Amino acid sequence: MAQISATEQKGMQQIDLTTLNIQQLSTLKQQLDQELNLFQESLGSLKIAQTKFQNSGETLEKVTPEAEGKEILVPLTGSMYVPGKLHETNNVIIDIGTRYYVEKDIDAAKDYFQRKIKFVTEQMEKIQYLGLEKSKIRDAIVEIAEMKLAQQQQQS
Amino acid sequence: MTEDIQRKLQSELNSFKNVQKELQKAIQTRQQLDGQFNENEIVKQELDILPDDGKVYKSVGPVLIKTELVEAKQNVSKRIDYITKELKRVDDLIVNLEKKQDGHREALQKLQHQFQQAQVKAALHA
Repeated sequence: MAQISATEQKGMQQIDLTTLNIQQLSTLKQQLDQELNLFQESLGSLKIAQTKFQNSGETLEKVTPEAEGKEILVPLTGSMYVPGKLHETNNVIIDIGTRYYVEKDIDAAKDYFQRKIKFVTEQMEKIQYLGLEKSKIRDAIVEIAEMKLAQQQQQS
Repeated sequence: MTEDIQRKLQSELNSFKNVQKELQKAIQTRQQLDGQFNENEIVKQELDILPDDGKVYKSVGPVLIKTELVEAKQNVSKRIDYITKELKRVDDLIVNLEKKQDGHREALQKLQHQFQQAQVKAALHA
């Protein structure tokens, strides 16, 4: 798919924005707006994922060897619970995606969530950086389009 | 004369729209595959750092079934291979469709131009 970037990259064509006509500029702006929207959406989903991993990691703090045998309420549905006893508190089973689950001890599980949080945060930073770059290009396009419009009005 | 061009224009526009639809669909498939690919890659990484005697379960409906780590690894690798092939196929399809779309777009522009000229001519004769 076509890419728009302010920094030069291999296999990319450099275009002087001032050489484009108003219609081309508006198409370009639309494309960038779409991309920016997508970025916002992705950031939202990543934020949700980050919070989930954080919650899971924090919950692990409460799962200690001392908790063995303690009573808990297990949710059967969103509004119905049955009492249960904690058993084997040094191991947890984690969903790693594509329907696979692995058993990990508490330390490995904590490490897992730490890694996931780091990964998601890194992705968010990347998207934020890209979004900033794209919105800069978008601003430049809007500016040039306005300039061209003003020129046209003067001429007519 | 104008009607002739108009008819051609209409049919060209239709095929252009069809290609556009196909392209949209292909891009959607590509995005889906990309997501699946990434998810499987992450699962592979997780399985790889597991000790050899690590316990792995697979969820089948509401139950977790214990699986051998080796088997799980094989399964995920197979899936990654398959998705990679599919990605390649869809990429080729997208390139093809984009070419087609460009061709139709050019033809459309030409016809539009012809149509305008024919209209001007008709107006002059009238």
